[in-house]
Amino acid sequence: MDKYIFIALTAIRSKLAYLGEVGSKTIFLFVVLYIFLSLWQVTYGETNQTSLGGLTLPQMLWYLVVTESIILSLPAIAGTVDQDVRTGSLALQLIRPISYPLNLLASTSGERALSFFINLSVGSIIALIFVGPIAISLQSLMMFALVIPLAFTIDFLIYFLIGLAAFWLEDTSGLMLIYSRMTMILGGMLIPLELFPDSWQQILRILPFSAIVYGPARIFVTGDQTLFCSILIQQIAAIIGFSLVIKLIYGTALKRVFSHGG
Amino acid sequence: MNTLISYLKLAVAYMQINFKSLIAYRGAFISQMVAMFINDFVWIAFWSLFFTRFPVVKGWGVNDVITLWAIAASGFGFAHMIMGNALALPGIIVRGELDTWLLYPRAVLPHLLLGKSNATSWGDALFGIFVYVIFVKPDLPHLLLFLTLLCSVSILFVGFSVLTGSLAFYIGSAESVATQLRFAMITFSTYPSPIFQGFVKVLLFTLVPAMFVSHLPVSALRNMSLSDTLYSFGGAFAILFAGVLVFYAGLKRYESGNLIEMRG
Repeated sequence: MDKYIFIALTAIRSKLAYLGEVGSKTIFLFVVLYIFLSLWQVTYGETNQTSLGGLTLPQMLWYLVVTESIILSLPAIAGTVDQDVRTGSLALQLIRPISYPLNLLASTSGERALSFFINLSVGSIIALIFVGPIAISLQSLMMFALVIPLAFTIDFLIYFLIGLAAFWLEDTSGLMLIYSRMTMILGGMLIPLELFPDSWQQILRILPFSAIVYGPARIFVTGDQTLFCSILIQQIAAIIGFSLVIKLIYGTALKRVFSHGG
Repeated sequence: MNTLISYLKLAVAYMQINFKSLIAYRGAFISQMVAMFINDFVWIAFWSLFFTRFPVVKGWGVNDVITLWAIAASGFGFAHMIMGNALALPGIIVRGELDTWLLYPRAVLPHLLLGKSNATSWGDALFGIFVYVIFVKPDLPHLLLFLTLLCSVSILFVGFSVLTGSLAFYIGSAESVATQLRFAMITFSTYPSPIFQGFVKVLLFTLVPAMFVSHLPVSALRNMSLSDTLYSFGGAFAILFAGVLVFYAGLKRYESGNLIEMRG
């Protein structure tokens, strides 16, 4: 376990060396948050409502800060697996005394933790300037701190699976794009699930996308304990389920690896 | 006139070669194209959901947003389907890969831009036309105006890509900055323009010229307005002109990377 923690910390240190690049991505965060603020200001104004989907306008912007920070902090997971498979460097990884999936989980989690922290910090400053602070309890912060690593783990597992598809597909970038858009829309990045049609909400709450984006963001903003319990169960179930699928597919995929000396 | 015809022939020849090059990896090309089509469609689904809940946003309905997405996606798509290297410009400059293009007996910029086709842009281009025809169901004059405005939006996107990509001549590693600016342009271009007011609106007519994608073409189509159409083209040519100026001014500062490169 220590070696994977060391890998994660090394990934953070390595990412810190390119802080300028990480920082430049916050320009896009600013643009997106400004656009959403404008859109929701108009929407709240035209509907004459102070609360939509159980959120006030400041809460809505803070919700978007968290969802955007989650989405924009994504490191290259599927792309790395795809390249390792395609270039054959996976064979080199396999002879190391560490598990390839856990190694990648550790390094990308380190990268993501740093990117997420920077995005959340910058996003919070932007939200403070635009709409001011909202009441966030210590309890909601603790619940958030528990669900966010699990959300990243589910996201990792799904992207890892997509990357493994490189064993069979000519190109996996299409799958990555489709999955990322599903997470954005069906995960509640743009609109909270409460604003979806009622018939959709039941389905969306079961899908893993909501456990990655909507759940953590809503818990951060509202501190809803009931939601925390259901998201936690959903996350644990998703992690177990996807891990089993990866074990099965990874085992099958490794049988297709051929390497020779040189 | 002869020069124009000569460059049009060059463009057609490049499109044929680029298409053959893309379909050499048929599976990858089709999957990227389909993925982009689905990606764009997901956004339409988002807006449909949004407008189901909130039917009108400052006078804009779901059809206006579909029109906006149709023209933005197909404009971006056609621009980079034909001139795919516009997206790769900062990288080409930074890595010193312009040398190859400087050797050809043609003007550098058009030749360079035509040199590659972006696979995902084919998905954008097809998506735009598909959703406009299927969901908006235009009559013939609207369809013709849509296709005309498609040209202005494509010119604008090429011009903006050249303008931002050419920053690499001046600030070195401009890939990240150019990408951020392009994302900002695309993002601002795909939201209803009336939600932006005041200083930001001025910004969107100048520094990040998204209003020439989102506001004027949609307004031209809503009102069948000749003046809005002309303003759209005026803005697009102004940005293209600025991009060309900045590129050639920057080219004087270009230093060869002594990179040996083969082009098939």
